[in-house]
Amino acid sequence: MSHMMHPNKLTRHYWVWPIAWYLFLGGLGGGTLFATTMLQTCGHAICELLGLGDYSGVVAQMFGPALALATFAGVVFLGVGSALLIFELGQWKNFIRVWIASTSIMKWGATFLVLAMVFGFVEFLFFLPPQWNLFWYQWIWLRDVCTALAGLFGFCVAFYTGCLLGTQKSKPFWNTPLLPVLFTVSAVSTATALVTILVGLWPAIDGETPFALQIANQIASPDYANQVVVMVIATVTGGITEVMHKADAVMVILEIILLLVYIICMRASGNLTAKRIAQTWISGSKSLLFWGGMLIVGLGVPLWLYLSEVPNAGLIAPVLILASGLLLRFLVLYSDGRQLIPGEEAYYAKLPKGNEEFLQPWKKPY
Amino acid sequence: MSTKYKDKSVDIHAPGVEVKKSCCYFCHQNCGVLAYVKDGKVIKIEGDPNHPTNQGGLCCRGNIALQHLDHPGRINHPLKRAGEKGEGKWEQIPWDQAISEIADKLNAIKQESGAEAVAAAAGTLRTDDWSRRRFLNLFGTPNGFHNALLCWIPTFMMETAIGGWSPFETDLGAAKVVILWGFNPGASAMPGMRGYTDLKKAGMKIIVIDPRFSETAAKADLWLPVRPGSDSALALGMLNVIINEGLYDQSFVENWCVGFDELSEHIQQYSPEWAGEQTWLDPEQIREAARMYANNKPGCIQWGCTADQMGKASASGMQAREIMRAICGNLDCPGGDLMPGPSQDYITDEELEGNDFLPEEQKAKQIGSAKFKLTAWPGYSIIAKNCKEVWGKAPTAEWMCEAHGPSVFKAILTGDPYQVRALICSATNPINSYGDSKMTLEAIKKVEFLVVCEYWMTPTALYADYVMPIAGALERPVIHNNYGVTDSMICAERAIQPLYERHPDFNFWRDLSIATGAPADQWPWQELEDAFYYVTYPLNQKGYAHSSYNEFVQKFRMYYPPLHYYKYANGFATPSRRVELKSSILEELGYPSLPTWVGPAENEVDDPEVAKQYPLVLTTGGGFMPFHHSEEFNIQSLRFIKHEPFFTINPETAAKLGIANGDWCWIETRRGRIRQRANVEPSVDPRVIYAQRGWWYPERDPKAASSADQPFGCLESNVNVLTSVDDEHCDPIGGSWANRGLLCKVYKATVTDTFDTRFSIPGSSAEPGVTVKPSEQKLAFEPIPYDPKPSFEVPEGLTWDKDLKKAVYEPMNLVYDENSGWLYDPKTSVYYDLQTKYAYDPTNEVLVDEKGQQYDMTTKQPVEKGGK
Amino acid sequence: MTRYAMVIDKRRCIGCQSCTVACRTWNNLPMDIIYNPVVSEGVQGKWPNVHQTFTPLLCNHCQNPPCVICCPCKATFQDDDGIVWVDPNKCMGCKFCVQNCPYGARDVSAAPEEGFARKCTFCKDRVRTAELPPDQRPEGWKPEDALPYCVNTCHQKARIFGDLDDPDSEVSKLVNGNTTTRLFTELGTDPQVYYIEENGGSVK
Repeated sequence: MSHMMHPNKLTRHYWVWPIAWYLFLGGLGGGTLFATTMLQTCGHAICELLGLGDYSGVVAQMFGPALALATFAGVVFLGVGSALLIFELGQWKNFIRVWIASTSIMKWGATFLVLAMVFGFVEFLFFLPPQWNLFWYQWIWLRDVCTALAGLFGFCVAFYTGCLLGTQKSKPFWNTPLLPVLFTVSAVSTATALVTILVGLWPAIDGETPFALQIANQIASPDYANQVVVMVIATVTGGITEVMHKADAVMVILEIILLLVYIICMRASGNLTAKRIAQTWISGSKSLLFWGGMLIVGLGVPLWLYLSEVPNAGLIAPVLILASGLLLRFLVLYSDGRQLIPGEEAYYAKLPKGNEEFLQPWKKPY
Repeated sequence: MSTKYKDKSVDIHAPGVEVKKSCCYFCHQNCGVLAYVKDGKVIKIEGDPNHPTNQGGLCCRGNIALQHLDHPGRINHPLKRAGEKGEGKWEQIPWDQAISEIADKLNAIKQESGAEAVAAAAGTLRTDDWSRRRFLNLFGTPNGFHNALLCWIPTFMMETAIGGWSPFETDLGAAKVVILWGFNPGASAMPGMRGYTDLKKAGMKIIVIDPRFSETAAKADLWLPVRPGSDSALALGMLNVIINEGLYDQSFVENWCVGFDELSEHIQQYSPEWAGEQTWLDPEQIREAARMYANNKPGCIQWGCTADQMGKASASGMQAREIMRAICGNLDCPGGDLMPGPSQDYITDEELEGNDFLPEEQKAKQIGSAKFKLTAWPGYSIIAKNCKEVWGKAPTAEWMCEAHGPSVFKAILTGDPYQVRALICSATNPINSYGDSKMTLEAIKKVEFLVVCEYWMTPTALYADYVMPIAGALERPVIHNNYGVTDSMICAERAIQPLYERHPDFNFWRDLSIATGAPADQWPWQELEDAFYYVTYPLNQKGYAHSSYNEFVQKFRMYYPPLHYYKYANGFATPSRRVELKSSILEELGYPSLPTWVGPAENEVDDPEVAKQYPLVLTTGGGFMPFHHSEEFNIQSLRFIKHEPFFTINPETAAKLGIANGDWCWIETRRGRIRQRANVEPSVDPRVIYAQRGWWYPERDPKAASSADQPFGCLESNVNVLTSVDDEHCDPIGGSWANRGLLCKVYKATVTDTFDTRFSIPGSSAEPGVTVKPSEQKLAFEPIPYDPKPSFEVPEGLTWDKDLKKAVYEPMNLVYDENSGWLYDPKTSVYYDLQTKYAYDPTNEVLVDEKGQQYDMTTKQPVEKGGK
Repeated sequence: MTRYAMVIDKRRCIGCQSCTVACRTWNNLPMDIIYNPVVSEGVQGKWPNVHQTFTPLLCNHCQNPPCVICCPCKATFQDDDGIVWVDPNKCMGCKFCVQNCPYGARDVSAAPEEGFARKCTFCKDRVRTAELPPDQRPEGWKPEDALPYCVNTCHQKARIFGDLDDPDSEVSKLVNGNTTTRLFTELGTDPQVYYIEENGGSVK
């Protein structure tokens, strides 16, 4: 018998690190698609906010290219998450059966994942270098539809990751309407952080790109077009970053509140399992990660960085937020206790751990 | 799409599947098993729904038969030691070669030191030991033994001495009350437990006597948690209540008992208040139990192993319980305790044993028989004689009449009373299952020639010169008839022929016997089925027509004589033909004839100094699922359920000692210490520790340095390191040693603690080595000189022989028959005239002197021979 | 209609765990899989006034099984007679059902060649032989062959199996004629294993 066996059902975690990463990447990827869509949709309003006045309508068109890398990252993260999901399966060759008619919420998750990835990817295809001059560049309507759908399904994925856990009535710590909300807020928060890192990095929009010049020509004389392009990109990037920092600060505050509400309510729960697990967050095995890792380093410090004028805050804070998002998924996933039937704990505690000598293949006596 | 999952389920109804009526072989209830056999392979087993014992049920052990059958750890071929003793190096040799080499060695030892230098140890009933006895008798040694003295045998012999046969068959269907005394069927006798549960539902009262809140105690109407080892005091106290409150059956006592007046007087010293102090019970509880038993007639007292495991405190309880049954009129009546007697309808084990082969002078050499007489030749001879007179047959001698096991081990180590040079172990690992393991281990290491018949490489087998592969469950036919002392039987056939070179132990003893020189015609049966057909053959007369043993199993499976009660109409099989409340047999053997209290092996009243150092009372030996004795620790799916040893301690005591649930702790007695994990729960008194028995670790590598002194961790958690086999702790009557009611202490273990394998006689960790020779060791009480007085006037010229209890005329070795007034020669059965000492010639109705001269019968004058 | 159910008479259970081992051997389970543990909190109370109760567990074959509805790949089924089972060849091993069962009745073995969800099937291959017309039953069939093996092996007859829709079945009589309890009914699963509670203890 393998030494990997884990006979104690009560301490065994059936879903482990690939699922935690998946929950994180699903939220992050889906959230990113949602965020980029929202930014593009609200580009005009943001430009107004930035005081670009008459140029708002034109500059807003620069949001797509500026966010292209974030969109791509969102698709990739969703893909990696899906891969981890399949990697974690006991019989991965059967994964295709997930779409065989069924009532399972997991089928919806898989569908959202695929749709978000497909639409996100198609959207991204429009932001390949303009000089490649691919024939579909002209189908702007398709790009807009894909942008909208990628955002929609991205949000669904992010929301779904919470539902995946939250709908399990066998797990008292998960089975609450607050969990999908918490996961969604965290997903959007991490996505926002990601966007602030990736915005404007690619494709490299320099003065030579016809698309950018075309836009620049609309707002300035050809002699100044190049400088204008650089200026506009910087403005857009800076504008998005500034807006997103503010938005993320709000998300972080919201997340802190949600987390505290979650733990307080669970600690006060009439369900002893939920209560016991909440206690491990407050003062037990998970307390250091929760208070120190999650609340202080993962959320408190970035919040302070966003609100203060510390140099490099714009890079450190998002990274910390991303880390805290991952940590949250691990903390929640490993809080998978089932409500115990009296006597179960004593029973399983006395079972072998799985690495005992008598469980190894038996030696011949001679 | 993945289709890697292969359905491994087995269709028991597939074409070509044969159903064999086999039995379970993992304890001696032998529950019925149906074995589904296809192409010579057992593909599945299940409980036999038509078997009277289990009705389809099978416990944990019963279910693992197939894993046991071809377990990679099984011994499948004869092994000959290739390296040093205990080194674990073996040479695989053919069966016949092993038999002939063993036979040569045994014959050489017999030549040099006498047959008695060869001893044979066995465990519990996992064998056909009438064949072992037949070998031992033909070979000429009286030194066969089992763990019998811990399990029923002293009780059987005590009850048979008092009442003529042990009334061990409880007629529960009609009973109104049952006492389960030191018996936990909830963990050790599942089929029985179902019966109790059903009957309780139907209104029967259950009294459970157990120091632990056992699985059975949980279902009792009245539970008496006695101090471990004090059960006999409870029995005496209950007897006192029954007699003093007049709850006994007056007419049965008057008609069928002797010695009631002496008993009444004797029992006055054992008031319930006195018993309360000994047992830690409230005297009212004792009265309640006595009244519940005596007032709910008919009732049963079920034997429990505890009865035989309290060392010197054992015998008085057995005696008191048998008396209690008798005076309450519960013997052999509907709803009472039935005395089946030996089977009148088929051949009994005793008839197969060939006890006549063993010369009288060899019987006298039986080790321990001079000290512990009831269960050895001195006691057995008297009991067997009475049984033969009344029942026509005697109890089985194997089990009931054996050497004292621990004394044999001591003889190996000390040469006292003589050097035992060879030991044949079958179905036993004495290091774990006999008392004082450190001493036993040393004896196993030291014995000159060791043969082990086994399934597994046990710590004992590791030191063997030869290990013989034995057929187990499903590989052998089985007759279940309660050690051959009941009148019914349930039979099972083999499902398959033994795998590899395994044989039933019958073949081992038969082959060895013939190889050591016994005439082959003394073993007319080639295989067990032949012998068993010899056993069942007479049943053809009873309407059970069959022409082979297997046919009997397939057609009938069992034989139950028509149940009959009151079989004592012609008298009980005792010297007085009555139930002897005051036992003449015990008196003759030099023991108290009335039940007399002796405190448990170590107790706070008699040994206050010991109690100061060892303040807790240890009880052990009780069965627990899923193991049986020291067996099945190597079956993964059983070990999975309980993979580590646990002892139970009351939370109050644990708190005082700083012991938390699950802590590894040492349990220490004067003889040594073992470690087990703490199970902290209020199922025992705060003054009591209950430790699990049997533990060893068969998965460990015996060659590892840490295992060298005690292979397979055989001393590590083995509770028998703690038990005592000192003569002064053993029951002088039946020889039981002490598993229960010992004094101990408990403390937390640390990782740096080490084991101490040094042994001592008597058992003591403080003074290793032999400080007292066994023959110098005292018993718990000295024998009472037996001085029988003649009940008639001894004629002049004759002398009174105390041993024969007869008047004898020594010059001619003649015995006086006080009823006829004649002398007779016990050898020739010729009668002689008392005055003239002339022989009686029945043909001519004359007396004849040594010269042939005839004399007249009345005048004693010479008569002329006719025709001369 | 047929609705299979089990009654567990805790008054009879002695915690011997025979059912645990019997199930393992009959169904060839990997070592780390236990379909039917017998759990207990141990002896409770204060010496000598104590009590103990054993709770044999197994799949409840719920009327509303959360483990079936959650299966994303239609590898687990509830048949008309109530039996919930898994087709190992269709299962992708996502363990969602394991997570969803409030009773811990499903598991996935770490053994090689495993990786799919496993659970008690009420020994459906055995019990459904009872539904065959007598002439179609295999040779040598006996009524005991139509019981789950844990029921067969229980010496104490603490497990009673049968058709709850048959008013004359023993389970019907026990369920309807006794106060029974079920586990986590508040979750709406409508479990079909009924417990008759222990009434033992040292104080009578």
